[in-house]
Amino acid sequence: MDPLFLAYSYFRRRKFKESADICTKLLEKNPYDQAAWTLKTRALTGQVYVDEVDVDEEGIAEMLMDDNAIANVSRPGTSLRKPGTSSQGGPSQGVRPTSQSGRPLSGFVRPGTQGGRPGTMEQAIRTPRTAHTARPVTSSSGRFVRLGTASMLSTPDGPFINLARLNFSKYAARPNLAKALFEYIFHHENDIRNALELAALATEANQYKDWWWKVQLAKCYYRLGMYRDAETQLKSAIKQQEMVDTFLHLGKVYVRLDQPLTAVETYKQGLEKFPGETTLLTGMARIYEGLTEMDNAVKLYKDVLHFDNMHVEAVACIATHHFYTDQPEVALKFYRRLLQMGVYNAELFNNLGLCCFYAQQYDMTLTCFERALSLADEATVSDVWFNLGHLALGICDHNLAYQCFRLALSNNNDHAEAYNNLGVLELKRGHVEAARAFFQAAFVIAPHMYEPHYNFAALADQLGDLQSSYVSARRAVENYPNHTDSQELLKQLRQHFSLL
Amino acid sequence: MSGGDSGNVQLQEVLPKQGQVYQEDMPTVVLCKPKLMPLKSVTLEKMEKMQKEAMEEVKQQELKELGQDAEMFKGY
Repeated sequence: MDPLFLAYSYFRRRKFKESADICTKLLEKNPYDQAAWTLKTRALTGQVYVDEVDVDEEGIAEMLMDDNAIANVSRPGTSLRKPGTSSQGGPSQGVRPTSQSGRPLSGFVRPGTQGGRPGTMEQAIRTPRTAHTARPVTSSSGRFVRLGTASMLSTPDGPFINLARLNFSKYAARPNLAKALFEYIFHHENDIRNALELAALATEANQYKDWWWKVQLAKCYYRLGMYRDAETQLKSAIKQQEMVDTFLHLGKVYVRLDQPLTAVETYKQGLEKFPGETTLLTGMARIYEGLTEMDNAVKLYKDVLHFDNMHVEAVACIATHHFYTDQPEVALKFYRRLLQMGVYNAELFNNLGLCCFYAQQYDMTLTCFERALSLADEATVSDVWFNLGHLALGICDHNLAYQCFRLALSNNNDHAEAYNNLGVLELKRGHVEAARAFFQAAFVIAPHMYEPHYNFAALADQLGDLQSSYVSARRAVENYPNHTDSQELLKQLRQHFSLL
Repeated sequence: MSGGDSGNVQLQEVLPKQGQVYQEDMPTVVLCKPKLMPLKSVTLEKMEKMQKEAMEEVKQQELKELGQDAEMFKGY
């Protein structure tokens, strides 16, 4: 068989490594074989390709030294920086746990939404304490670079294409080579500067008439943090040819510029051209979720399901919403649907177990959790144990609950929720000092939660340590302004102090 | 039942003179809520997988290099 044909066949079947190997052999025989060269670049790109729209990692530096935002003090409901300022209140923190950014926990994680924006430098630097949510210092030192260097290391005789020795203007004029080369530089080598140079030359070579190159230029600008330039390129690309991808990228640029409402407008524009496009709808829903306007978000996710009823993100987010609005049986239906669709992992079984328990379908609960435990890896197993602890609390088996929370901690030493709940259990047993220590550990690890602050304050108040109680109660109110018990405690303490 | 005069019975409240009635004041504490685990997007899973593989490969290479060094120092 013709080796090139075989290589193409491997490429189509997504066996990129085999395809690249064959191409390497062909190129050894004839280094000027353009077909083999292009195919090899494409195969190497395919190995590390991820959809650029979904990739979004914000480093500490970008976040804190970001001067792109228009207003430092924005009007309520117009900024992604301060969640919960929108007129429409999100779910109460007393019911739905929040993530570090102060947003309600999402039903779905995407790259970039894991950490959320911490408000202050102090908080941002403290974040990477927990290894699971470690945030890179800048996005150019994050995942991207690590992948790039790894790909260099793994080829013993250096990189496939020596970028420093390429004559970009020669390649830019040849569309059949330039596009594959660009994607190789952008995705595989992660050399954004060179990619930008090639894209700029190619745009020029096409007399500024090719929308594809403009989008690529915008992608480079975005990665380099030049959001306004990216915006200009994308708008010009849309004028030439309206594509879903372009709208998505433009929306992403606006999100980064902290203009969520403009981003929503962009998506709406895109939807006029491409009605029922699920990616655009999802983009809008994510923004509303970020603004904690849950009702709007859920409505959009339901629209997504109307057009694509296998959309995992939409199903998961709706299910989470139902679970935390006191309808576990509805959530159960959605999660069951995911199971039918073939999602099979620890997270899903854990959620199914919780839904079964709270929907009073006790026969399935333990089986689900057993599955979840057997499927879990080291990052997730602690959360499964934590939820099992809740189940034990629900059936009043405090010893089992204690052991479960302990196991959660033994798997993840930074599990703040487990520390807090252990504190509560210790207090029930009358071990005041241990409880105090647990609460303290919990709020040191996760200062964004109100529970350990409040618990610590209540306990300290009881022990007569009014000063610590006051400090903690104030923090609790800061984190959850509507928590009545904390407010009461704070009021009591203030009164007490004023009497002194 | 002793007829209709039961309505006239006066109940006297009893306050014990000896021993105090007291109630232990336990602080009301709150538990953290059960946590539904967010599902992972395909992109995220792929990125994590790639990262893991890359780390693995780097480790292997480093081990190999170390192995060569170990060979070198074998005679000493």
